[in-house]
Amino acid sequence: MEKIGAVMVVGAGIGGSQASLDLGDAGFKIYLIESSTSIGGVMAQLDKTFPTNDCAMCIVSPKLVETGRHQNIDLSINCEILDVSGEAGNFTVKVKKKSLYIDPDVCTGCGVCGQNCPVEAIDLFNEGLAKYKATSVKYPQAVPLVYAINKDYCIGCGICLGVCKAKAVQYDREDEIVDINVGAVILAPGFDEYVPPEGNLYGYGKYKNVVTSIEFERILSASGPYAGKVLRPSDGDIPIDVAFIQCVGSRDYSGVGKPYCSSVCCMYTAKEAVIAHEHMHQIEPTIFSMDIRAYGKDFDKYIIRAQEEYHVKYIRSRISSVTEIPETKDLRIRYETEDGKILEKDFQMVVLSVGLNPPDDAKYLADKFGIDLNEYDFAKTDIWNPVQTSKPGIYACGAFSQPKDIPETVTQASAAAGCVNQLLYDKRGTLITEKSLPPEIFVAGQPPRIGVFICHCGINIGGFVDVPEVTRYAGTLPNVVMSDRNLYTCSADTQTIIKEKIKEYNLNRVIVASCTPRTHEPLFQETIREAGLNRYLFQMANIRDQCSWVHMNEPEAATQKAKDLVRMAVNKARNIEPLNRIKLSITPKALVIGGGITGMTAALNFASQDFETYLVEKEAQLGGFARHIYHTLEGGDVQEFLKDLINKVKSNKNIHVYTEAEIEDVAGYLGNFKTTLVHGKNKEKAEFDHGVVVVATGAQEYKPKEYLYGQNDKVILQSELEKMINTSDDIKNKKSIVMIQCVGSRNEEHPYCSKMCCAEAIKNALRIKEKYPSCEITILFRDIRTYGFKEKFYREARKKGVLFLRYDEDNLPEVSQEDSQLKVKVTTARKDTIYVNADLLALSAGIISDREENEELAMMLKVPLNDDNFYLEAHVKLRPVDFATEGVFVAGLAHCPKTIEDCISQANAAVSRACTILSKDEVEAEGKVAMINVARCIGCGMCVENCAYSAIEIVEDRRFGRVASINQALCKGCGACSGNCRCSAIDILGFTSEQIYAMITGRL
Amino acid sequence: MGLEEDNKKIEESMRETARKLLEDKEVDAVIGYTEGTLPMSSMAMVITRAEDVDKLIWNNYCYINLATYLVPRIAQLVDPEKGDLKVGVISKGCVGRAIIHLKVEGQLNLDNVKIIGIPCNGIIDRKRIEKEIGQKEILEVSTSGNEIIVKGRDFEEKFAFDEYILNVCKQCKVKSPPNVDDACVGECQEIESVSDDYSDLAEFEALSAEEKWNHITELLEQCTKCHACREACPMCYCNLCFVDQNKPIWFGKTTDLSDIIVFHLIRSIHLVGRCVACGACTSVCPMGIDLNLLIRKVERIAKDRFDFTSGLSSKVMPPMMDFSMNDSQEFMLEED
Amino acid sequence: MTQTETKTESEEWTPKIIAFLCNWCSYAGADLAGVSRIQYPPNIRIVRVPCSGRVSPFFIIKSLMDGWDGVVISGCHPGDCHYISGNLVARRRFGIIRDVLEFFGIEPGRVNFMWASAAEGERFAVLIRKATKIIKELGPIKKF
Repeated sequence: MEKIGAVMVVGAGIGGSQASLDLGDAGFKIYLIESSTSIGGVMAQLDKTFPTNDCAMCIVSPKLVETGRHQNIDLSINCEILDVSGEAGNFTVKVKKKSLYIDPDVCTGCGVCGQNCPVEAIDLFNEGLAKYKATSVKYPQAVPLVYAINKDYCIGCGICLGVCKAKAVQYDREDEIVDINVGAVILAPGFDEYVPPEGNLYGYGKYKNVVTSIEFERILSASGPYAGKVLRPSDGDIPIDVAFIQCVGSRDYSGVGKPYCSSVCCMYTAKEAVIAHEHMHQIEPTIFSMDIRAYGKDFDKYIIRAQEEYHVKYIRSRISSVTEIPETKDLRIRYETEDGKILEKDFQMVVLSVGLNPPDDAKYLADKFGIDLNEYDFAKTDIWNPVQTSKPGIYACGAFSQPKDIPETVTQASAAAGCVNQLLYDKRGTLITEKSLPPEIFVAGQPPRIGVFICHCGINIGGFVDVPEVTRYAGTLPNVVMSDRNLYTCSADTQTIIKEKIKEYNLNRVIVASCTPRTHEPLFQETIREAGLNRYLFQMANIRDQCSWVHMNEPEAATQKAKDLVRMAVNKARNIEPLNRIKLSITPKALVIGGGITGMTAALNFASQDFETYLVEKEAQLGGFARHIYHTLEGGDVQEFLKDLINKVKSNKNIHVYTEAEIEDVAGYLGNFKTTLVHGKNKEKAEFDHGVVVVATGAQEYKPKEYLYGQNDKVILQSELEKMINTSDDIKNKKSIVMIQCVGSRNEEHPYCSKMCCAEAIKNALRIKEKYPSCEITILFRDIRTYGFKEKFYREARKKGVLFLRYDEDNLPEVSQEDSQLKVKVTTARKDTIYVNADLLALSAGIISDREENEELAMMLKVPLNDDNFYLEAHVKLRPVDFATEGVFVAGLAHCPKTIEDCISQANAAVSRACTILSKDEVEAEGKVAMINVARCIGCGMCVENCAYSAIEIVEDRRFGRVASINQALCKGCGACSGNCRCSAIDILGFTSEQIYAMITGRL
Repeated sequence: MGLEEDNKKIEESMRETARKLLEDKEVDAVIGYTEGTLPMSSMAMVITRAEDVDKLIWNNYCYINLATYLVPRIAQLVDPEKGDLKVGVISKGCVGRAIIHLKVEGQLNLDNVKIIGIPCNGIIDRKRIEKEIGQKEILEVSTSGNEIIVKGRDFEEKFAFDEYILNVCKQCKVKSPPNVDDACVGECQEIESVSDDYSDLAEFEALSAEEKWNHITELLEQCTKCHACREACPMCYCNLCFVDQNKPIWFGKTTDLSDIIVFHLIRSIHLVGRCVACGACTSVCPMGIDLNLLIRKVERIAKDRFDFTSGLSSKVMPPMMDFSMNDSQEFMLEED
Repeated sequence: MTQTETKTESEEWTPKIIAFLCNWCSYAGADLAGVSRIQYPPNIRIVRVPCSGRVSPFFIIKSLMDGWDGVVISGCHPGDCHYISGNLVARRRFGIIRDVLEFFGIEPGRVNFMWASAAEGERFAVLIRKATKIIKELGPIKKF
């Protein structure tokens, strides 16, 4: 069957959007199918995100706008999958596009229909906490910004039909059914949250002041029902004592909830508690928890800060009951503490940290796409490739395959895209069409001839601002040769008018005074480009969102303001020049640093797409950390997998392997790197060009100084125990084995969780129990962090009689040797002191990263390290495998401790991100970049330090000596350099000093 | 011991150090001070031969910040055959600080500069003494004990040294250069930070906005925008100062009060974390404007906000080259 | 050059304020205030800049010299910067500008630095109301 260069992505949350963007940028045609009426999924509902407290909307909305506007992404909302046929490389998917009763191509999103709708209906986005109308968008920043009529609430009064000046309302608009032909499918439907059923233990649904965490998230949000104030639903009072109850619907074996761990609740609960306290300082949050599973990068630090800086109190306990005190509507929580006491405390509000369920339509989707689900009804995936479903050509990412947080979802989205690249690489660019554009009219040096188009936006602007007066005024401004007004400047017919006017008046600058450039600038830029003008010869005046809508009661002042804004735009327009996006050629080769599982996976993916790949390993053999691992917790045979991987790498003609290699220099930048290294016993020199770099340098196991390690040979590492179990009978005679967790993790020296040690200990314990059931195993732990489906193995270990004893950070176990007997003393959280004799003591040593080694490479690549010496990605949430320095990516343990599966996902994700570059012959840089005036520059180097993208370096100029030099390919045009420059030697194209000067001054 | 003897001792050991450096070919040239043409004045001098060291002098009129002669690399200091020359610089505390700070800004290589450290106990405020003397011609000035003796045709007046040094010198905490990267020979000190007290600013800072404005305009009213302060300043080494720029012409070039104020305002912003409090600007001002107030404030901002004092380390990034998540932001507008 | 004065019906003096907003957070927050129809005084004129890091002291001082009665500069909250650290670079600069201006006798209330995220339409409006009130109380900018 012929392979198809198109991909379907089902679900347009952050995962689906990321996968679409990656593949769209790599030259595939994308059909992004969303079941609701806007994209963004759960992330768009969040207030802040952990562990950085980033504003979710700030970081996600640029991505959503990009998704909505991407040339290669065909976005359809309100869709349903009807049928799927075909196989990997060529599927046909029948999709029903359900009618919105509003023509999305005509709707301008002005919102007049929604304001006039008389029927109050429930808004899903604010989680039922705010009222909305039958005609609505899901939320104010929705992409795409089109309204939809909810027929369940619509009474057919016809008001919206009457008020819609764009004539977009069509009550009789019908559903549309289409067949879509694609080569691969990525399923990213996300999750549904657990809703406590009627009669639940916590009184949810019965007591008003008991809310779920996702409802609380909306309460916290500045765009939520109480505008960011934390108020309790029953009476709008500020709650002082707020209780958070964790594991609601998770780790629940009673049959009511789900047995697995939902992975994200510990962190989002801590975040909600922190943000609640931050919003209202009087709030005292208390979190009732079992284990605190803060296993991700910088998560533990966040938990510590929550307790120390935000007064968040943790109580390890189980909840017995929640009852309402009728007079006050306060809630009384009865709970059992770790040491068996039953206590009671009153709270003004209770938040239930609900778990993540598989999406409601998981079974439907699985059935349609012919993929298997696992025992919990999540998508079943390959043990060595967590995005591969049971059916080739169909991939799953995000919470659909297991509960996970945003960075892991984004990583998996890119990983799925990486796998699609591997499958369809030879079909890139076959189904996308390059728009043919007329040559650009040469305008440089000509006096400005400015055309101003002023929008009524129906009545949105026209109702409050005297648009004819503003139009008249615009016409009087210098260099303005025409000014006109339109009902909707963004409508398709106005685009034609704009093009005609450009011709008729010979315009060389165009201004639209309407809504916000954030959503509409690209549309108008496209229009003027089609008319032959450079797309940067455009300006917008925001006279709606920032004028008519915020001064609705002051029409005169609003009109005056609109005139000022238009004048300022004209002043700027007089100073704008055409800009060119510089183009950079790309060397279609990759350098992968590190020959462990991560590096080899990445190299193989690159190589199978016919990209020549250089794989560099400092050791004499490939394999890295995995050489010491025999099995995964889930049962995968690591040695077998590794052997196979090494063979594939060694036999691939596109991969050049360098072992015992030491990199001497990496010069150049995105698309054009040059690396020199020495390798082998004889230190042979090698030099090669490449377009991207993947850093997969791994990490090391901590060598304990504590617990008699190295002094008593009965004290071994968990990895040594694993070797013993798998290669010898030495365990046979051991009666008692003790394991200590968190050795070299979560302490002052290494204040982070190593993530895999809990699984490692339980894996070894289970293996031993299987072989020698009578062997007694005691695991001393601080928190058991078997997140996700790993919880099952924790439960199994308990069932099989493995003894788990919790110790406190301030009360570490003590190991002593009496004669030949090893004794472990532990003070448990119940304050009992217990002595355990150990025939073998296994230490779960953490994962550490070497500063010296990483620092050298980091300097060469101009990328940063975090405090714990792991590489620091460009954005913790949304760019987990990218560096701020373009063309350089990170994957695996070099990023932070993680499991083998996660390493493989990151490797494929890094490949996908790299493919957005390697798939092109050349990349276009941003047009609005920094520009240096060397004659003014004194080379003080301040800009170099201030640039987040390593785009500036100091060079020796023949004429001017030491001066800064900007690599425009790396520059993002933020202007941090320019704002600080004492000599005004740096200017930002598109926001030049002259342009801003003209806006500040030049009043008439 | 009096000032005279102190200075003589310093001068002797300074000459000895310079001689040795030149003889051992550790430097190709030494920049120092020599007698000026008028009483209470001094000039910069470059010597390249050991036998010329006796031309170098040290006294309390050596107001020039010699670091300005290092940046930009003036033609005389670069031998086209040899590349950068190695230069020794007679450095009181503020000259040393300037050299170190210029190193941080990438303007010179400390391998090529020897800081010949000398302790300085203050530069005499010539303008003030002249003002006190009035129209009479000063013919001879000497120091004795702790006094400055000014002689003319038919008068002799005495001034207390501690009182008649530059205001900025009265606050000086770094009298001899910090020893950084072993670039210093002669008298220098290990110093990581200075604890400063800004009580001298308290009176001004307590004024209302209106009063501050009046005080500053009164102070600067005399300014003729001759830019002598800029030329004397080791940190004002831009190729084209912002006041001279066009496209756009942000600020006027006239001597209108607003153009004067804005020049000093922006120059102050540019000097935060960079000014080494040498007072050269004040010494050279032909209108006798004392810029001490601005110097002190600029120092204070860097110290209070970023715990930074310029010219003490070649490693610590100055405030505008660095940033931190935890920087103070008490000035941000917040909801009530 | 004269300034077109904003006058309310009662001819009461109202200030002219110029606001430099970063494209990604604050400008979006201002848009959200609009979408949510949150009303605030009509005195500000917004100039869009890529990042608060772009705002040079020249912009601020020139605005005041040119007769704007007050200036607002708003960026992403620390940690939210679209350009990673542009707002942190800006924060240091703003602290310095503020201190020097104050020292020269220009009331700190003339120049207001703030953070507002893309989700904080309400906060944006509240802070603009507050800044307008502060500047109004200070009266017209002195000519300098």
